[in-house]
Amino acid sequence: MIVTTISGSAQVKKGLGLYTDRDVYVSGETLLAKIFNSTDNPSKIAYLDLVNQFGTRISGVSMEVINNESNGFIQLPDSLGTGIYLLRAYVKDTAEKLKIIRNIWISNRFDGLSKTKQIMQLAETQTIQDEITQQINIEGVEPIYATNSKAAAKITINSSLLTELSGNLMVSVAQTEPSFSSSSFLSSSNQGKDGLTEKKGIILSGTIIDKNTSLPASGATVYMTIPDSIPGFQYYQTQNDGRFYFHLENYYGSIKAFVQCFPSKSTQRLKIKMDELFAAAGNLPAFSQMPIPEDFKTNAAREIDVVTFQKIFGQDILKLKAAPPKLNEAYPYYGIATTIVDPHLFIDLPNFSEISKELLQGVKFRNYNNEPTLQVINTAVREYFSEMPLILIDGIPIRNLNVIKDMGTQDIKRIEICQIERFYGNLRFPGIVAIYTTKADYSIIPESDQFIQLKMEAIQLQSELADPNIKEPDIPDLRQVFYWNPSAEPQENLSIKFNTSSLLGKFRVVIRGRLKDGTMLLAEKQFEVK
Amino acid sequence: MTLKITKIGLLFLVWSFAQIAYAQQPNNHWDAGKIKGERFIPYSSYNGFPFLTEDWNLGKIEFTNGEIADSLSLRYSSYKDELIYYNRDIWTMITIDKASINRFTFTDIDGRTRTFIKQYFDNFAKSYRFFEVLSSGEISLLAYLKVILNTTSAYHDDNGNLRNMAYDHSYQFYFYAPENGYTLVRMNLASLLSKFDKTEQKPIKKLLRKNKIRIQDQYSFIQAWKAIEKEGYKIIF
Repeated sequence: MIVTTISGSAQVKKGLGLYTDRDVYVSGETLLAKIFNSTDNPSKIAYLDLVNQFGTRISGVSMEVINNESNGFIQLPDSLGTGIYLLRAYVKDTAEKLKIIRNIWISNRFDGLSKTKQIMQLAETQTIQDEITQQINIEGVEPIYATNSKAAAKITINSSLLTELSGNLMVSVAQTEPSFSSSSFLSSSNQGKDGLTEKKGIILSGTIIDKNTSLPASGATVYMTIPDSIPGFQYYQTQNDGRFYFHLENYYGSIKAFVQCFPSKSTQRLKIKMDELFAAAGNLPAFSQMPIPEDFKTNAAREIDVVTFQKIFGQDILKLKAAPPKLNEAYPYYGIATTIVDPHLFIDLPNFSEISKELLQGVKFRNYNNEPTLQVINTAVREYFSEMPLILIDGIPIRNLNVIKDMGTQDIKRIEICQIERFYGNLRFPGIVAIYTTKADYSIIPESDQFIQLKMEAIQLQSELADPNIKEPDIPDLRQVFYWNPSAEPQENLSIKFNTSSLLGKFRVVIRGRLKDGTMLLAEKQFEVK
Repeated sequence: MTLKITKIGLLFLVWSFAQIAYAQQPNNHWDAGKIKGERFIPYSSYNGFPFLTEDWNLGKIEFTNGEIADSLSLRYSSYKDELIYYNRDIWTMITIDKASINRFTFTDIDGRTRTFIKQYFDNFAKSYRFFEVLSSGEISLLAYLKVILNTTSAYHDDNGNLRNMAYDHSYQFYFYAPENGYTLVRMNLASLLSKFDKTEQKPIKKLLRKNKIRIQDQYSFIQAWKAIEKEGYKIIF
């Protein structure tokens, strides 16, 4: 029997926290988040996802864990209905046992609160309690500011507290909604399986199924290719459980990954089943309902207008930072080409058979009785390999020669040939023919159950608040977040500067941190823009 | 009887859980970097020996992409200046791509750990070479353990074929400093002394005498250099 508890487990596991720039959002907005991860977990990837009150996952991101902390953002879809939503933060290996959950409110940009009669609040009584500290002073903040004015705050941290702090501070200045406040709690379970620890990066996993028996297929070879100027390539040989695993190390932002499998017996027909990147819904917390306060309704309507205008004026709140420099491979896994041929430089040839005859020395492509064969010479022994070489189309391995037989010089940008017996780990390639197409859109590769194209988000790129950059005086500055630094290095004196926007309302300066003993600290100061 | 059935049942349960737990584990070293290379084609058989060591040695490779592969059966080819490893899974000797290697170490039959680094040699015959690090510091003592094919008088090899070539040692030793480059040195006292200022040569001789070091081979040379280096004498490149 699996006993799952959703409770205030702050006593069970201290020092975990999930915080956002605000508590109330409008669909289409960007939510900024900071996670204080477990200090005893070596995972390098933390996940943050958004689920609705019924447990359906809406979106999510994977973030890099640096010094047991991570930060990132979630783009809230425009289509989200009005209501309460849950943010879940976890690391993959302990996802079934421990998640940090935070509730937020999202108003639909088009419907507003017209259909919403009640507001749902978490019924959790034991939430993660932040200790309000007097040892962090926020000075220099006026109680009232004018719109579009300069402001500054001086943060002084007691020197004894500095030695007790673990990691960085989160410093933010953002609009606040007095009638709704979010809270975080730990969803913990003593049961559940431990997953693989993502020490290097995101792990893509799945199962290879034998289509005839519907059982996991052992002995299948699974390839994963990530196209690039130098393609990334990994392989895995399945065991009895049919499972495979790949590491996406140092990949940031949107990437394309191609997963394909090849059976150990030619008669076997396989199917790839990828695992979900994000954790299962799990148990949901209890909610209590209460009537919507009038203030909340008014403020929500105003925020909807603000976000609508932000969209109209194209005021992006974030700008992405460049990905950290990647230690690139100097050459592809299939080796440095013995010969590179650019068919465009030669006479137009209608098919690959002609190309191989006329342009590719040491490559024998024959298409007798519509059964194409391809062989490459092994220059080391001056004989043709008896087996088919590794054939790549834009970096993706293929085994069906019918795919290339009709390719003419117009379709091919470059052909790289390796006329040696190459090895990559335990894989052996009797020569290599790598064809780079002019279209480079992978459309030539036939889709099948043994070949999956994945368009996915790898580690989220780091971001920072964008400058307002408003060129015309008539256009209002509609920022709700004036300052956001999720990784401020603790110092005795910290000073922050920000500009208020054209928005009126209540704002607050918030500083959050974690002590070495796991206590979560909070210091805040409110001000008003009139 | 009931007790027996219960015991069997319990054993089955334990086995089932073990199977489940086992099934969750991926293959060993599944996420380790994969070694890139090509099949090693055996060299022609001549007198002499093209490899540095007679046996395969267990060693470690540090690759240019930061990956480290350990417990590999390695053999350094002095003839081709390349590193060969024996892939036990597929029973194949593979010449590892030189471009992918940063450094490697292995333990030889005498139990000595030998470290090789890949460095660009910018003197005659410019290329990336594997140098054995005999002594590392501000100035390193490096050995390029090259074997070359020389023409010899005709002889019959083990298979009765007539040959006139043999593998010969052509080891070269260098002092190396990143800012000054390489300077060739031979494994004798005169060559070592020639690397220092004339005024320092006498005290260096005295120092070696005092430390009872007589340069006779590579090992006593290293010992001598370490003693000199400790005293702060600087090589003139």
